[in-house]
Amino acid sequence: MNSHSKSQRIAFIALLAAAIVLIAGGIFGVVNRTSAAGEQMLSDMRLTALLTTAGEGSKEALVEAEVEAAREAARAAGGGLSEIKEAVAAAEAAAMERVANMTVEVDLDTVDTSALIPAVEDMLAAQRALGEQTDKDEAAYAEMMLAQAPAEDAAEEEILEEAPADAEAAMDMDMSEDEMMLEEEEPEVDMSGFVATEEMNALSAVVDEKFAGLSAALQGVSPDLSDAALETLRPTIESLLYQRGDTYETQYDRLNAYGNAGFTSWVTRYGDDLITVGVALALVAIMVFFAKPLLKALGVPRMIITCFFMLLCVLAVIYDLSLTTLLSNAVVRMAMNSVLVLAMLPGIQCGIGLNLGLPLGIVGGLLGGLLCIEFGFSGLPGFAFAIAVGCLIAALVGMAYGVLLNRLKGSEMSVTTYVGYSIISLMCIAWLLLPFQSDKLRWPLGRGLRATLTLDGAYRHILNDFLAFDIGSFTVPTGLILFMALCCFLMWLFSRSKTGVAMQAVGNNPRFAEATGISVNRMRIIGTTLSTMLGAVGIIVYSQSYGFMQLYTAPRQMGFIAASAILIGGASVSRAKISHVIIGAFLFQGVLTLGMPVANALVPQSTISETMRILISNGIILYALTKAGGGSRG
Amino acid sequence: MGAEYVLQMKNITKRYGETTVLSDVSLSVRPGEIHALLGENGAGKSTLMNVLFGMPVIHTTGGFDGEVLIDGEKASILTPNDAMNAGIGMVHQEFMLLPGFTITENIKLNREITRPTVLSRALHLKNMENLDMPAMRKDARKALDSVGMGLDENTLVKGLPVGYMQFVEIAREIDKKGIRLLVFDEPTAVLTESEAETLISVMKQIAQSGIAIIFITHRLDEVMAAADNITILRDGKLAATRETKATSLVELAELMIGRKGEAVVATTPRAQDASANIALSIKNLIVDMPGEMVKGVDLEVREGEILGVGGLAGQGKIGIPNGIMGLYPAAGEVKLFGKDLPLNDAANALRSGMAMVSEDRRGVGLLLDQSIEDNIAFNAMQINGDFLRKVLFATTKDGKKVRAHANEMIRQLDIRCTSSRQAAGTLSGGNQQKVCVARALTMNPKFLFVSEPTRGIDIGAKKLVLETLVKLNREQGMTIVMVSSELQELRSISDRIAIVSEGKVVDILAPDASDADFGLAMSGIKPTKGGEGAHE
Repeated sequence: MNSHSKSQRIAFIALLAAAIVLIAGGIFGVVNRTSAAGEQMLSDMRLTALLTTAGEGSKEALVEAEVEAAREAARAAGGGLSEIKEAVAAAEAAAMERVANMTVEVDLDTVDTSALIPAVEDMLAAQRALGEQTDKDEAAYAEMMLAQAPAEDAAEEEILEEAPADAEAAMDMDMSEDEMMLEEEEPEVDMSGFVATEEMNALSAVVDEKFAGLSAALQGVSPDLSDAALETLRPTIESLLYQRGDTYETQYDRLNAYGNAGFTSWVTRYGDDLITVGVALALVAIMVFFAKPLLKALGVPRMIITCFFMLLCVLAVIYDLSLTTLLSNAVVRMAMNSVLVLAMLPGIQCGIGLNLGLPLGIVGGLLGGLLCIEFGFSGLPGFAFAIAVGCLIAALVGMAYGVLLNRLKGSEMSVTTYVGYSIISLMCIAWLLLPFQSDKLRWPLGRGLRATLTLDGAYRHILNDFLAFDIGSFTVPTGLILFMALCCFLMWLFSRSKTGVAMQAVGNNPRFAEATGISVNRMRIIGTTLSTMLGAVGIIVYSQSYGFMQLYTAPRQMGFIAASAILIGGASVSRAKISHVIIGAFLFQGVLTLGMPVANALVPQSTISETMRILISNGIILYALTKAGGGSRG
Repeated sequence: MGAEYVLQMKNITKRYGETTVLSDVSLSVRPGEIHALLGENGAGKSTLMNVLFGMPVIHTTGGFDGEVLIDGEKASILTPNDAMNAGIGMVHQEFMLLPGFTITENIKLNREITRPTVLSRALHLKNMENLDMPAMRKDARKALDSVGMGLDENTLVKGLPVGYMQFVEIAREIDKKGIRLLVFDEPTAVLTESEAETLISVMKQIAQSGIAIIFITHRLDEVMAAADNITILRDGKLAATRETKATSLVELAELMIGRKGEAVVATTPRAQDASANIALSIKNLIVDMPGEMVKGVDLEVREGEILGVGGLAGQGKIGIPNGIMGLYPAAGEVKLFGKDLPLNDAANALRSGMAMVSEDRRGVGLLLDQSIEDNIAFNAMQINGDFLRKVLFATTKDGKKVRAHANEMIRQLDIRCTSSRQAAGTLSGGNQQKVCVARALTMNPKFLFVSEPTRGIDIGAKKLVLETLVKLNREQGMTIVMVSSELQELRSISDRIAIVSEGKVVDILAPDASDADFGLAMSGIKPTKGGEGAHE
């Protein structure tokens, strides 16, 4: 305690107090929502809204009646068309003026609502029953349609495929394609053929009946309301009372427009958000309290990124984004990127630093994938084949790359960057010239390979779907995580082998290693080759999860992304552990996954999200690279 | 002028925190004399000069006690600039010259003679003036002539022989106005013998023109040849001030070495066994280790002895173990227990039963970011394949065994740490050294090189390290070669002590040989039987 400064203690207490108030309020709200009091509150709001609507309706009815009366009178007096018009206009103006001075009585204490309340409740119940029935029947219909569809669907897809393969766009997109993956494609079903079922018809008759009851009750309150006016108002009233997929919040938001419902109801409405903010504040308070030990354990960069990530989580909840879905996506993206990030590890451990030449391995993996499709392999054997071929190619070029790096010791950072960029450019030519024959790979016209290749027929989601299960809206990609764990375990095993220990010594202190008779060059080649091979495996894992393989310039940034992730995880250019890989991959991808939707929610209907995406991802990369020199110990 | 002394430093005491590096040292230099400042490494020569030049390292650590008088007047020298204004100049050991500039430009650097131009007059800006090259050349010529250098003043410094660069440096100092005291910091260290002779004659010439010279060196014969007076420092204290005429090589050597307190570790002296087998025989060993060149060493190490290797810094003693262990390129003929040992092969050297504790702990000796246990087990694992076990299909480190062994070593050597998982880089110097020793011992060597084992570690750790060495030698019969700059250490545990100077073994002495013998040997002079010094 003594190590805390006064201001730190004050901040902690203030934050904690605020958090407790918010959480208490939030819990009150959430409890209130499900209790009779909450229902009462909503019911009152509903009545207010109804009365307002009815009042406005009766005003209009009055005006209408006066106008009609005036027209009849004028016509009866036998005037010409212009006289009738004049008389009508005069009557309308007079009526409008009278109506404007009328106040609509909506005070629930003065209005007699004894007949109205049961009528409203009956109506609501009837509407709800109809809505639920409609949902059920529509779902059944959609399922039926889908069951019939697949044959024609597949044919359709064959044609559609050429559409996304727009090379120009793909080249500029770099990473934004990642986001496409986030939107799980919902099967499109043509609902135009849907007809109401008998149950639905029966229920809608009940609704009609109840509406008659409600109309009577309303006329009891505002006698001016004509039947015709009520019929006009019916859609408004119906949508006011119930909409499909209604929740407490949507009802509240809808009804709140008819008059502010007061603080307590506000707390009830925003109870869950209050709890979220309260929990966030409590976390901040705890972080303030343990600032020193946390800083020591995590280091400043990771602390900042973690705080940012938490902020995004809170914002996601506040903006009603599904946090669990987002987190689920973040986990998938962490796992699919993890092998690429893991590829940084042997590079750092053997002393070449950040292997920004990772695209070299990625190209190897892509070739493996291409050959797999070319030969028509699919499923697990296809996946294994792609990895085997990818590793073989990556091992060969990795060795040559290692020799190159040994010749240019001391400037690895620029050499790896250069190699990374130049292999991408070289392969852009190669993708056009390589003699692949499969129609799935080639452009339908002209020569060369497509920019984006679907893995649907090959090994798409082979790991993601293996033993995958759902917890609520959180999908656990078991196979993917197991594969990541396997790669990490093998890497860990290697790091403890004689060669692995020697390799780390070379990275840590080359002169020490030399003094023990270890060949520094050989170890660096081993590390570089391993890094390149992991790059090949990494891109195959990545693409199976993404569902597409991207050629041409798409992999250009991947070295930087992987490097940034491991740096954010706490590694430095000379020191890295497997924990850095996992923490870094999660934080980097987590921030990216949550950042986009939150940015969209913050500034809706703008192109800001694309700008934000570039800002956030490149910002993290830049920030991570500034930390390259001296990371945290620990 | 008129004052008897151009410089007087009186009762200078300098402390860095708790340690006193200079205590009550006085130095007086007359105009026009060559005053030699003599002492071993770490005797306090450079600290004294730092005080004289007002270096920041002195004033940022609490200044010094005592006073400095220039021309009999108290002077306050707080920055190197003050020293320059007081007319004190320094000729550096490493040349501070710009290779791409001519000699003239180097001599006049930052003191250029300029001529006003239209622009400079109009703007009143001094830096708009033109360089007055002819005037500068004339000055440079004069300075070069005064050091007896006939070289064209327009020659580029790049490509000049090393000796000439030294003269350019001297010329630059002489060219400064009002220079009255020049400090030469080991000027002959990089020169050939004939260059050194020329330098000494130039120094004499300069002295005759009335400029006083402080000549820092450890070469006794040069001192005898050049200096008028000699001040000898030892362990931060003034050992003596002598007139050259009234002293001798032997006396100087004795004064320089002295008896330094008690032996660090008490051992029972053993009779030398000249008939013992030769463990390591070295013939004409040449090692290319920058700063520690070995230029043809012949040495025989007997089985079961502790051989000390001493000498001043930079003379090549450290190069011997580094060369044999394959850390630096080496040539020569080395036999270990009668078998030829191929050089330049570190793994083979380790495999054949030798181990080394390096003098460069942080650079070569340790994996600073890795744990103590990994450091200790490293060599044994890599060379002997110890501490390995099979996991599934892979052979990996046996963490349990490594930890058990490390804990045993931590106990034996009293390594102060929180656990064997602590990173080696976070340990104190002494404990790092113990980790290095532990790693060497884990190899179970028959032959151990220990290079500067006590450098930069506290007295307690020093004692423990030395005792460990003695124990290993006496109990396990391990043959040990200990290289150290601390003569006292060598004398306390060695059976014989080889003294290296200029990359060669000058002499092998018994630990109880006289100070004079050690002093002379360190100076590169092999003592004859009478004890009287003679040039080799």
